[in-house]
Amino acid sequence: MQSIEPLEETVPPLRHGEQLVRRTDSEPRSTRPALAVATRTKHKGLIQGFLESTERFASRDALVVDNTNLSYCELRGRAAAIAKTILDYAGDLFPLAAVLASRSATAYTSVLGILGAGRGYVPLNPKFPVDRTRKMLMLSGCGVLVVGREALGQLPRLLPEINRSLTVILPDCSDTAELRAAIPQHRFVSSRQMSKGEGFAFDIEVNSADIAYLLFTSGSTGEPKGVPIHHSNVRPYIEYISNRYEVNEQDHFSQQFDLTFDLSVHDMFVCWERGACLFCMPEKSVMLPAKFIRDRELTMWFSVPSVVALLSKMRLLQPRCFPSLRFSLFCGEPLASTHAQHWQEAAPNSVVENLYGPTETTIAISHYRWDPSKSPQECLNGIVPIGRVFDGQQSRVVNQERSEVSEMGELCLTGPQVTDGYWNNPEKTRRQFVCFPEIGETPWYRTGDLVKRGENGCLHYLGRIDQQVKIRGYRVELQEIEVVLRKASGAQQAVAVPWPAVDGTADGVVAFLSGGSNLDDLHILNRCREALPDYMVPRNIYRLEEMPLNDNGKTDRKQLLKLLEGA
Amino acid sequence: MAMSEAQLVDLVIEWVRSNHRPGNSRNGEISAGTDLIASGMLDSFGFIDLIVFIETQSGCRIELTDVDPSEFCIVKGLCRITLRNQQN
Repeated sequence: MQSIEPLEETVPPLRHGEQLVRRTDSEPRSTRPALAVATRTKHKGLIQGFLESTERFASRDALVVDNTNLSYCELRGRAAAIAKTILDYAGDLFPLAAVLASRSATAYTSVLGILGAGRGYVPLNPKFPVDRTRKMLMLSGCGVLVVGREALGQLPRLLPEINRSLTVILPDCSDTAELRAAIPQHRFVSSRQMSKGEGFAFDIEVNSADIAYLLFTSGSTGEPKGVPIHHSNVRPYIEYISNRYEVNEQDHFSQQFDLTFDLSVHDMFVCWERGACLFCMPEKSVMLPAKFIRDRELTMWFSVPSVVALLSKMRLLQPRCFPSLRFSLFCGEPLASTHAQHWQEAAPNSVVENLYGPTETTIAISHYRWDPSKSPQECLNGIVPIGRVFDGQQSRVVNQERSEVSEMGELCLTGPQVTDGYWNNPEKTRRQFVCFPEIGETPWYRTGDLVKRGENGCLHYLGRIDQQVKIRGYRVELQEIEVVLRKASGAQQAVAVPWPAVDGTADGVVAFLSGGSNLDDLHILNRCREALPDYMVPRNIYRLEEMPLNDNGKTDRKQLLKLLEGA
Repeated sequence: MAMSEAQLVDLVIEWVRSNHRPGNSRNGEISAGTDLIASGMLDSFGFIDLIVFIETQSGCRIELTDVDPSEFCIVKGLCRITLRNQQN
């Protein structure tokens, strides 16, 4: 069998930090100067707290996944093997590396290994359609891909159409002969060829302006949209949250978000910042996590509010059923006051908080603490307020003319947590990151969220100013679904509508088609499934002779909702 | 009269065939051993609809408080849990 040796010219020199500085300075990343990343302080970035915990709590459990406990020392060792392999085989050619893995030891060690190698990580999701994953991989420009066992089967479909040569690291695969023969343009590194990581000191320093992770969200043009988050954006979040919730080494954290959802960054790095233990929830427990919370005696809970709705419907949210929880955090979609109330009763020893924040502002940027005696009166339309922005961040509510208003308007945000623009998308960046000349040159991120500022400064979420919706916490641009629907159906008009929607959030979408499509629904939906993640695939297709129009001649989405209500 | 496990399994399979997620056209593949979630046939909300259907048909309340998710996601496992609850 042919062995693959590291390329001589890519074996890294000892002083990785200097290389990283050069690379950062020479390569443009996103398309605007960073907001608060102008200083080029060198440090270990997002991984810093984890590395400190490996010194302080070496023998304590850091991660429980697949019924295996990994101590901080063991997790560091596995991450070192990946970091050293990346440096040995891929050198210092590109600042990002992708990870295609989910809910496995390899998934977590890859994230840490990539960061340890001084790279930013790009999470890819084995549950997503292969076409979408390929698109994200190509858009990211990554030269390195680390793949877990759970995604090995996708490689023969994923990789052949990628012409750029990738270094594909396979920690769970000892024989790559078949892959090498089938897809010769890529270099495969098997577990036997990987470095053991021995002696790897994690001494690479990064600039605060370097990217910690690059996430892709739904894009209105039909292409996923890259959001780069810099170390300087995410470190303030980790530090603020760790202090606010007094995280300590006794804590047991839930980890139920996919790595492609930025809330997973909170789970991992707030947990590891203070030596706590992260409990990865198996896929099936994510659906109904009550037993998992009790069995693992979780102390820190973080999920989308939809989980509360599910547990409630299944009668699994009984008073005092989660006594171990000391903090319960919800984010990603509007939190109904009834759900906050029920959760508080189920977790009476827990502080319940509603967090809010678009991916562009790093995980979450505002919070509201639920107070059973006062909060029900503070809710608007039955929805818990999103509260106030974190210390050090700033908010501004503006009207269509971008003038500040005292009540209802679009929420704009700035501060250290806010990123500087989209990945290779200057046009979108210009639209969403704007300045208010009357208060200076600082760019502000326009969230597209309609809010109302209450008398006490507390922010209330009212809805969107565009066609973006949240489906089970996932951010979805309806136009992206519509682009795929039109291609799949050949229809002249395709409209996606969130349905059914309750308390400001939707369980799914349905589609309306009109004009020129003779293809059957199943065929269209199968084509959608090839291009879109499960939560974006329409549940049903309805055919109309003509789309209803409003007074402005645009598709009347409210009328479509009425049709559904009457169906 | 109490339902047998085989009868309940048939009922569940029939319901899933009519109500599975669009695009997952695996009608021929569903059996007593099918994992309804891993196969993608149902999402979490579809699963709740199924529970409601089973409770209506069997006349008993399904208690999921302490059951293992790897059991209740399988057609046969879900039916056994239902019948266990019926006996209690």
